[in-house]
Amino acid sequence: MNTLTIIVFLPAIGALLCLIAPKPLIRSIAVLTSLVTFLFSLTLFGMYFGSEAGSTSAEVFGSTYGALHHVIRLPWITSESINIEFFLGIDGLGFPLLILTTLVSFLSCLASWNMERWKIGKGIRAYFILFLLLETGMLGVFVALDFFLFYIFWEVMLLPMYFLIGVWGGERREYAAIKFFLFTLAGSVLMLIALVAMYFYSGDAITQAGGEVASAYQSDVTLTHGTFDLIELATNKTIQSYFASEGTTFLSLKFAPLMFVFLFIGFAIKLPIVPFHTWLPDAHVQAPTPISMILAGVLLKMGGYGFLRLCYPIFPTGAEFWAFTLAVIGVVSIIYGALCAMAQSDFKKLVAYSSISHMGFVLLGIAVMTKAGFQGAMFQMIAHGISSPMCFFLVGVIYDRAHHREINRFGGLWLTMPKYGTMATIGFFAALGLPGMCGFIGEIWVLLGTFDAGSKYPWAYTLAIISAASVILTAGYILWLIRRVYLGKEKEEYAGYSDVSSREVFILAPLALLALVLGIFPMQTVFNFTNGTLDLVLAHVTSAISMVP
Amino acid sequence: MNGHTYEILLALGVLSPFISFWLLVFIGPKLGKPLAGWFGVAFGMGVPLLLASYVLMCWLGEDAASRAMLAEHAFRYHWANLGTVPILVGVKLDSLTIAMYFMVAFIAFWIFVFSVGYMSGHSDEVDGKSKYHRFFAYLSLFAFSMLGLVLSSNLLFLFIFWELVGLCSYLLIGFYFHERVPQYAQMKAFITNRVGDFGFIIGLMLVYFQLGTLDLDDAARIFAEQYAAGTGIFASSFTMFGWSLATIMGVGLFCGAMGKSAQFPLHVWLPDAMAGPTPVSALIHAATMVAAGVYLVARVFRLMTPEALMFVAAIGCITLTLMALIAMVQTDIKKCLAYSTLSQLGYMIFGLGCGAWIAALFHLITHAFFKAMMFLGSGQVIEGCHHEQDMRKMGGLMKKMPVTGLTFLVGVLAISGFGIPGTNIGLGGFFSKDEILAVAWVRAFDWTDYSRHEAEHGEHHALAVPAIDANDGSSHGAIDGEKQIVLASDPQHGDSHAASLHGEGHTASESPRGLKSTAHGEDAHGRAGVFSRVPAMPKWMFYLALFTAYITPFYMMRCWWMTFMGKPRDEHVHDHAHESPMMFLPLVVLAVGTFVASYFLFRDLISDAATAATIAPMVLATDGHVHSLAITAAHHWLITGVGGSFVVGFVIAILIYGRGLNIAARIKGTIGIQQVHTVLENKYYIDELYHLVWVKGCMCIAHIARFIDTWVIDMTYLTLAKLTERLAAFSGLIIDTQCVDGMYNGMADTAIDIGEAVRRPQTGRIRNYVLFAAGGATVAVVLMLLYWGVASPDQSVAMLTP
Repeated sequence: MNTLTIIVFLPAIGALLCLIAPKPLIRSIAVLTSLVTFLFSLTLFGMYFGSEAGSTSAEVFGSTYGALHHVIRLPWITSESINIEFFLGIDGLGFPLLILTTLVSFLSCLASWNMERWKIGKGIRAYFILFLLLETGMLGVFVALDFFLFYIFWEVMLLPMYFLIGVWGGERREYAAIKFFLFTLAGSVLMLIALVAMYFYSGDAITQAGGEVASAYQSDVTLTHGTFDLIELATNKTIQSYFASEGTTFLSLKFAPLMFVFLFIGFAIKLPIVPFHTWLPDAHVQAPTPISMILAGVLLKMGGYGFLRLCYPIFPTGAEFWAFTLAVIGVVSIIYGALCAMAQSDFKKLVAYSSISHMGFVLLGIAVMTKAGFQGAMFQMIAHGISSPMCFFLVGVIYDRAHHREINRFGGLWLTMPKYGTMATIGFFAALGLPGMCGFIGEIWVLLGTFDAGSKYPWAYTLAIISAASVILTAGYILWLIRRVYLGKEKEEYAGYSDVSSREVFILAPLALLALVLGIFPMQTVFNFTNGTLDLVLAHVTSAISMVP
Repeated sequence: MNGHTYEILLALGVLSPFISFWLLVFIGPKLGKPLAGWFGVAFGMGVPLLLASYVLMCWLGEDAASRAMLAEHAFRYHWANLGTVPILVGVKLDSLTIAMYFMVAFIAFWIFVFSVGYMSGHSDEVDGKSKYHRFFAYLSLFAFSMLGLVLSSNLLFLFIFWELVGLCSYLLIGFYFHERVPQYAQMKAFITNRVGDFGFIIGLMLVYFQLGTLDLDDAARIFAEQYAAGTGIFASSFTMFGWSLATIMGVGLFCGAMGKSAQFPLHVWLPDAMAGPTPVSALIHAATMVAAGVYLVARVFRLMTPEALMFVAAIGCITLTLMALIAMVQTDIKKCLAYSTLSQLGYMIFGLGCGAWIAALFHLITHAFFKAMMFLGSGQVIEGCHHEQDMRKMGGLMKKMPVTGLTFLVGVLAISGFGIPGTNIGLGGFFSKDEILAVAWVRAFDWTDYSRHEAEHGEHHALAVPAIDANDGSSHGAIDGEKQIVLASDPQHGDSHAASLHGEGHTASESPRGLKSTAHGEDAHGRAGVFSRVPAMPKWMFYLALFTAYITPFYMMRCWWMTFMGKPRDEHVHDHAHESPMMFLPLVVLAVGTFVASYFLFRDLISDAATAATIAPMVLATDGHVHSLAITAAHHWLITGVGGSFVVGFVIAILIYGRGLNIAARIKGTIGIQQVHTVLENKYYIDELYHLVWVKGCMCIAHIARFIDTWVIDMTYLTLAKLTERLAAFSGLIIDTQCVDGMYNGMADTAIDIGEAVRRPQTGRIRNYVLFAAGGATVAVVLMLLYWGVASPDQSVAMLTP
């Protein structure tokens, strides 16, 4: 049995169990399922040990882009002209995000433990079924290597999310859910266009080359029609040169830049970038705490993952074409997100806007196409995947007790709830990008990587300097938040609030620990697993760019 | 010791407070008071101090060759790759590190001890709840970060620890976070530092990008190579504000120092930081952390161009003057000390800027001792006087607190540069501040002469690199009449340059060179050319520094006199005043330390470090042994003048404050002085200006951003959604129901109408139907026949026949 298949469908099996289980058992089943999925996903670390000795992902994932592990390839929908496969595999791009997903899912499932309190026992069965389906969708996105399959998982994740926000959310849940759904759907439509276009254009490329083209990375395979295989699309010279060719047009526009934009927008909405970000504050604020954790921790990463998996390797020329625009959007997101965060009075909204600011670093790092930039962007995704769920959960903890999120009404919580205050300080300082914690590495890597791009893009200096200014803004809004919520005299209103329970500590502690460990040992925890593949992707992209006259 | 023993011991000393921090976090509450404090003292700081002492002793036993050897073979841990650049972390092993490390460990240890006493009362309570263990946990974390900062061999790690000490400062300033003042002070400290860090990051980016490494030594080496070859950062034609890229790099790194060492215009946080507990002010905001900026500049000295150093000097000069002026009017004892700290930091930065590397660092060390002591003394006073900080309510405390008063006086003497000119008797500032001034004098007045002189006489005036090694640290008093200006050169060529300089025929007057042209890759690539590039300093810098040398003794004596001498002005405060033995032990130790530091140990260590640390291609380092610098008669009056400045300052202070505050009040009332006084009291209104421009400005922009977000971007989407909804409504309600559906309905209606019309003849009688049918059929047949018959009879026949 293929490991990845098991990991992806374990939650779905759990969902089936939830369907038939007696009501009191449901949440135990759900938590257990996510725990087992998490533990099982840890076995993937075995790739790095044992027979395939080697500590770096360069060694594990071979020396060429497209070296995969745990591959499963089954024909799924096959006809004369269509060949859709069930094709899963993992490399340095998907691996860390897969682990992150299983971890965050487990923790947020645990955070849903008291959901009966926030929704009076209603729909517990539906909630956990949808939750587990969501997990399957998310995991699928990170391991699917067939574009069609990828798209399916992408949509599978969308629907449960819609219901989770729309049914179990806050006061304006329906509005937020529809907004989330429509924004993502708009992106999906563009992606669907790209999906179909890429399939047929790759077919054209093969026809033009005589109808039979050897696969770029599989031995004894010949391509006769178009393909959905993401690795093939990226590495096959025939397809690549046809895609990149000036003469290839779509709606009388150049193919590569246009397709890049279609895919980019699809992913950028998820990331999100300014100006496609307005779904995020609403969705985050209205979603129940565990769902906010998932949204911030995992869903946003799909955007960044999509860039690295699809946009950049398949349309390098498009990436080159749009580099400046993307970098500027990244910088705008960083600064603008930070400024908006500063002006918020809703606790959760502030954290949501800080996510926008942090994800701007991901886009900036990818856009400049330097090694340090790519590494930093990837690290930033992981780091944000740890710090933002923690922040959202911290908001959730106090919301559970106070039932409001007005920053200015809080105060003195560090005295009222000392353990909680300490955890919050760790969490928010990790988000602030304090050195020694995870947020710092991603940011500084991206900043230095951006500056490094100055030799090819002169504008990169300016952008690096502008985005470096965000360190001041970030410190500003986070410290101000801490001051208003945690410092000051104890307030009557909150006297007698219980400190964090052991379940809450159990959720916060691993995140806090990871925030520290990632910050102190970035190489052992992240870079060793990602850099090999990232460097290969970058080498692939830059060589493709340099080949274009 | 051999191998990596030094590094291991030093690293263990860093690790120990870190472990102590975690232990205090987790088991601190169980240890309780005062056990948690003693645990911090013993494990958090005692271990590092023991290790530091041991390492120091061993290091003093090593000769120059083995020190260089140890530094060269120091262990480097491969921490991560930044792009393709490996980040190697390790211990920067040289005399400066050892000196700083020992200084930090020593002072921190005694401040820990003091803290146990300070916190034994109610000072550990935050809103009525004891946070005793938390205080010591933070202190331990600070010790960890500060020691780590000193040890770092890598700029990135220096930056990491840099931020961590900032965090500790933040946490400790806001220790009493239930009150408003500390809350704002802590935010101000952190954010102002971040503004400096913004510049630091830009500097880091340039180092990484242009030099391709973040290791301090490698960066300096590559910088020198690039200078020699005119490549890399020196090949760039980019300029900003008239600065080359290399200068911008230096200035960027210095910006970080401006934040941490609270240099103008980023000085605003330090006076406010006094809201923290007094031991914190002593440790972090006087002795160690604020000196980190000076330390940074000293470390990256080799990456600084003369223009960058000129900027450093200018900032230092402005700071030292402006802050000393404010200190004259402060009435809060801690604020007064804070401003004097600012002014002294300005001196250090100024010293580095004009090239007095050794003097500046020596000043750092001695200042750390006596300023920590004075802060602790003020803490003793404040604690003894029931948290009264206003000096106007004190007075006459000498009788009640003799130890505090005397040790404080030692500090006052040291900071004022007390000493007997022409001899070797003096304290702290006497050795360092005068030296800085003398170097400044040379740079400002004697500079062009000197370079011309140099050009004429060549080697007779030795540009002696080795001179810096001369272990004459103990003979400061000797005016040996030799001017020792050390021109640094790149490491490979060393002092061979001095010999070959004129053999090559490069002289300052012949070759006024540009940035790149200096380098030919020849053996002697024109030191004179380098030399001519180091500009003379503007004279105002020297004058300001000199002027401040007279102000410092005045305000320090004022502070001491107002607190300890004269008559008690507030009976209530005076009655309560008492000394606690637990707290005066550290005072005595640090007072003794001030003496020792002024004469022994540190001077030699810093001189030793200077050899390596100041070697740079175009950077001038002046070995500022003041008293040996005096070659001309002009220096004699300078030294006499500056050396005697403390007398002048003391006398004025005693004249004014000797008999209470009346004279001062009368002077203050004078027209002209009153206005100046107001401006000084309000610190030049800089805080207000910043609040208006930065805080309000930033919030304003933030609210604009929020407005745009809600009312422009989101509104666009909402409008789009609304429009779609309207369109849907329009198509659904108007078009669909009325037009499309209307059409069908219309058709249906018509059909019904027709049906209605048709229904009327339907009578239900068969006869009628038959009649209709027969009639109809007849008509049809007739019509058919007619039609086909006319059109084509054949067809009709064909139709009709089967």
